[in-house]
Amino acid sequence: MPVITARTTGPDETRALGAALADLVRPGDVVVLAGDLGAGKTTFTQGLGAALGVAERITSPTFTIAQEHRGRVRLHHLDVYRLENLREATDVGLDEMLDDEAVVVIEWGDRILPVLPTDLLEMRFRFVDGGDDDRAVDVRPVGFHWIARSAALERALARWCEAA
Amino acid sequence: MLLLAIESSTGQVGCAVGGHEGVLASAHTSRGRRHAECLAPQIEFVCRQAQVELTDLGAVAVDVGPGLFTGLRVGIATAKALAQALAIPVIAIPSLDLLAFPARFSHRLIAAVIDARRGEIFYAFYRHVPGGVQRVSEPTLGSPDDLGSELLAAREEVLLVGDGALRYQGALPESSRIEVVEQGLANPSARTLALLAHARALREEWVQPWDVNPMYLRKPDAAIGWATRDGAAG
Repeated sequence: MPVITARTTGPDETRALGAALADLVRPGDVVVLAGDLGAGKTTFTQGLGAALGVAERITSPTFTIAQEHRGRVRLHHLDVYRLENLREATDVGLDEMLDDEAVVVIEWGDRILPVLPTDLLEMRFRFVDGGDDDRAVDVRPVGFHWIARSAALERALARWCEAA
Repeated sequence: MLLLAIESSTGQVGCAVGGHEGVLASAHTSRGRRHAECLAPQIEFVCRQAQVELTDLGAVAVDVGPGLFTGLRVGIATAKALAQALAIPVIAIPSLDLLAFPARFSHRLIAAVIDARRGEIFYAFYRHVPGGVQRVSEPTLGSPDDLGSELLAAREEVLLVGDGALRYQGALPESSRIEVVEQGLANPSARTLALLAHARALREEWVQPWDVNPMYLRKPDAAIGWATRDGAAG
């Protein structure tokens, strides 16, 4: 499966990376954000949300677990870091959010793959050597609907992908 | 006895005030899934229309699902809070029973079907009995195909009600024996809840608010692997 690696050098670029995906995501899509605390998952979501027309400030939903934002497309922003069991993801209404004509962004979503659809975009945020704010983001389209968009995804992310 | 009925197990949220005279007032909203925003104003409205003070209530009735998790949480939390504050009992009734009851005049087998989202449905079968319906199968979480197999196996005429039947009508077997009610019976109604709950209140079939729990028909559970989180210093 193709993995695209993007590199960013600070929060503003991570936000811009999120914004670059706004034209690509469609209602019903799932974006899973993986990576350690402070790696840029919420910052990325802020950029994506703003570009989707969300006016309010997007913060980490670690304590609320799920937060709904209204833009030109609705955005469900989840953080499953505090959940212990897959069933708790169902208890917060995951199935309803996944079937709601909204874009669903899930921080730490790689931990709950068994209860997620087989089509999703996985973004893994990594700390890399260099500046404190330098990050590498491995972007992996999973499932037919996302793999079909691989070329568009590469174009959208080209700014952050230097030839290795 | 006067009681307040709260129903929020599907995309619709509603409430009703009723008693021995039947339903006195009711309100339902099915737009935009705004259960939390709609319910309290609805309760205030129906009480005012029915000229009932909250302190006149003898019980609170609530739909305990199965249904949408987000909706059920709002309805059940509101019912429990009101009952606790007013020191009155709660009458808990499953959503599928409420959905099937308005179809009680049919002598066909009745299937009540609620959309569980993401290609799944909650369903149970009912039969007409004098004065109402009786559930003849356990509430089940399954796929439209599972239901379709049961419909074919039943080898009799079946009437289907509920938003799950409407959504997956196209996935059900084509047969002249199978009919989906197209209009009017898509969601459980707070009016039905008030009627059924009043009959139970007369028999004192109620529970304390702290004993009320949503009926979740859930998939098998598993722990989330958190080596990263638990290994982290903080």
